Amino acid sequence: MNALRRFWLISVVALLVVALGIAPAMAQSELPREETLVIAGFQWGPPSTFNPLASNVTWPAGGRHQLVYENLFAFNLLNGGLDPVLGASLEYTDETTAVVTLQDGTHFQDGEVLDSEDVVFSYELARDHDDLSYSSLFDYITGVTALDDRTIQFDLNPDQLNIGFFENFLTRIRILPEHIWAERAAGDTPLSSVEEDVPVGSGPYTVMDFGIERVVMERDDNYWGMDVYGTPAPTYLLHPIFNSNDEANLAFQRGEVDVSQTFIPQIWRMAESGAPVHTWLNEEPYYLPGTIPFLHINATVPGLDNVDVRRALAHAINYPLIAATAMSNYSIPAQASLIIPSGGEEQYFDAEAVEAEGWEYNPDEARRILEEDAGATMGSDGIYVLPDGTRLGPYTAMATFGWTDWVAAIELVAQSAQEIGIDVTTEYPEQPVIISRRNNGDFDLLIWSLDQGGSSPAAPWGRFRDALDDRGVPDFGETAFWNWSRFSNAEVPDLLDAAAASTDPAEKAELFSQLDSIYRQNIPLIPLMYRPFEFYEFNETHWTGFPTADNPYASPLPEGSGFQMLYGITPVGQ
Amino acid sequence: MTTKFQRYLLNKFFWFLIAFFVALILNFLLPRLIPGNPVDVIVGQMGAGGGISGESLQKIYASYIEEFGLDKPFGEQFLIYLNRLAHGDLGVSFALSPRRVQSLIGEALPWTVLLQLPAILIGWIVGNLLGALTAYKKGWFDRALFPSFLFVSSMPYYCLSIILLYVFAVHWQIFPAGGGYSYSMSPNLSWSFISSALEHYWLPFLSLVIVFIGGQAIGMRAMSIYELDADYVRFSRSLGVDDNRVIGYIFRNAMLPQITGLALSIGSLVSGALITEIVFGYPGIGSLLFSSIRQSDYPVVQGITLLIMIAVLVANFLVDIAYGFIDPRIRAKATGDR
Repeated sequence: MNALRRFWLISVVALLVVALGIAPAMAQSELPREETLVIAGFQWGPPSTFNPLASNVTWPAGGRHQLVYENLFAFNLLNGGLDPVLGASLEYTDETTAVVTLQDGTHFQDGEVLDSEDVVFSYELARDHDDLSYSSLFDYITGVTALDDRTIQFDLNPDQLNIGFFENFLTRIRILPEHIWAERAAGDTPLSSVEEDVPVGSGPYTVMDFGIERVVMERDDNYWGMDVYGTPAPTYLLHPIFNSNDEANLAFQRGEVDVSQTFIPQIWRMAESGAPVHTWLNEEPYYLPGTIPFLHINATVPGLDNVDVRRALAHAINYPLIAATAMSNYSIPAQASLIIPSGGEEQYFDAEAVEAEGWEYNPDEARRILEEDAGATMGSDGIYVLPDGTRLGPYTAMATFGWTDWVAAIELVAQSAQEIGIDVTTEYPEQPVIISRRNNGDFDLLIWSLDQGGSSPAAPWGRFRDALDDRGVPDFGETAFWNWSRFSNAEVPDLLDAAAASTDPAEKAELFSQLDSIYRQNIPLIPLMYRPFEFYEFNETHWTGFPTADNPYASPLPEGSGFQMLYGITPVGQ
Repeated sequence: MTTKFQRYLLNKFFWFLIAFFVALILNFLLPRLIPGNPVDVIVGQMGAGGGISGESLQKIYASYIEEFGLDKPFGEQFLIYLNRLAHGDLGVSFALSPRRVQSLIGEALPWTVLLQLPAILIGWIVGNLLGALTAYKKGWFDRALFPSFLFVSSMPYYCLSIILLYVFAVHWQIFPAGGGYSYSMSPNLSWSFISSALEHYWLPFLSLVIVFIGGQAIGMRAMSIYELDADYVRFSRSLGVDDNRVIGYIFRNAMLPQITGLALSIGSLVSGALITEIVFGYPGIGSLLFSSIRQSDYPVVQGITLLIMIAVLVANFLVDIAYGFIDPRIRAKATGDR
């Protein structure tokens, strides 16, 4: 037989064998689209574990999602308050005592009752498990006790009284079934390393299926909350796992995804092209601001240690251009304050003080400050030199590789600085590199938000603390977990503590105002733009009735108090 | 005679072991030379988004450094690594803790193999046939095909991927833009799932197979032209043997070096389509390696490079042995018996 022909024959037979081997047909496996809500943008990369205590938790067991595991309360992005979830009410009986009452009839997905003991158990885990995200709980409370099976008392730590922080814990600590987790807590394996593929929580959905491409949740029709909240509309929740924003955005535009949390440049163009795509607001800035990416300044670097230079830099940066290009108009120009001028924080924003003490884009003013206040003279290369001979630059400004909006922003910062005579070049290391350099203070200029910079019950306190508090912050060269600029000011700690303990809004506003003034006098970091806490877009091809600014029945996210949107949406055509 | 062949084998095996050990050391060391601490990333990610206090992050940081053994000296970490390896344990992923590296690789590997193996085999068969054919037919056939082979084979395979992606998935939307199957289904053995997987399969497959065909065809064409000049071809032709049979002869004789190429391609199968997978978001080893490198996920990077390394070494080893069998001259030379 001809060798060639034999070769072909063998190949064809082999292919047939493979094809037949995987052929046995089974039932149709596709989810019914009209009963499935497709959510994107929370899970990137392969699923790791549904253990909510792990460092990298698979959607929706982590974050502020209330789908599998539930918290006592949910943070309401719109008003800064707490919405009930497992907890029905929160009352302060005196300055340092809080009492939470549970909803009626709470139980876990396996049918076991959820009572005060489960709450106490979940909170007590923080006492001797350092690997938990809430391991600092007992800095803020001294005890948690079950008064009866429906009420729990929290004793706040009078030495570190911080209402906002305490309430933040109430929205972040998931209530775990003691009958499952007690044994794990007693074991040798750190709780964050426990593998969990079949999570048992108290929420309205259970995990149906997961893999590298997707996570699927199925509604639990035995959910305790049906008496309180009703029945969630989607039978299935599907979260496809995309590899990039581009892939996710294409699927969203085509209506394959219903609700998404990804950065889509110029989203209005998607709507103009005819796709039924919407955001929270119908016009600029489309989203609600929730966090501030800052330019962090290393004030030990010669030149940058001069506050006049920092002030000149603050005037040099073209904030409107950053908002328009880097942030795709999803931000108003950044202002000279650590407070976000809208949402739950607006009450603390002192517009007059910002105007009087602050800065705005004005290159002429920047040059004037350098020449008159700092006494600098321009060298022959167009770069200013201070009277002591310090040349302003070259400084390196860093952004994380691949974070396009931040990269664009830092590029504009460098351009702005060059224009007024400060020599700034850019550098884009990978995330692990930038985090370690950030923590160790190995940078000149760097764009990053603050770990507690986002909207939460603790805002804007957490932002002030992370930006200005030098207590517990080691010197440059050692790892710092906040205040990466190593800013230090004797007045700050007392003001921070007073603001943390205060329950009087007027008093709080006054204290934040004083802190903001100290900030503006020293400028250890500069707000560059406002970023939504998370992006919120929806496509009404398959589902309609999503919350918007005109119909704000839930927060703009299927997270936090946004879980209520699951009760408000309806399939198109019904 | 057998002892000499055994010596040849032993000699090859010895070098194979040395290469393996050196590779092991590099495999351990190289990821650790990437600047940046993986725990920084883990903790950084937990912190991002707000709500976790710096004090908590500080505690978590210390606890993870200890758990992953990063506080121990390099030498000790290496010994732990070897010990685990000897027990078939590739460790726990940093970024996807507590998932084990084996399970991550086990999930990704079938996708890579199913994408690459058919591409290599079909590309090899078709490429060699076309190469032999162009060499034999000459004329317009050769003038048309040879430059096209040259063009596709000299194009980096990821360029072709990007072009295909743009033309067929973004512009014309004939094929899906990414992923391994439609995410509205769960993997199972139904026809609807298989057809969905096939739909996602075409573009990455084509981008690989086209380049491979081009490369193989060029090699085969050159070899065949050389063979065409051989006496046996002239003799057959003068006898009036039919064309197909002559091509068959040429094909068989020109094949030897092509077989080496095939073995090495299969050996580097695991790593061969890294960028293709990344471009198409295909859920294989390439995508996994890419995300692991970016997150300094040492154990996963190590696990994958170990796999690639073993595959390449074994393929080379087998090729060496096969040569020893097929070609007595090589064996003789290696054992010093001329």
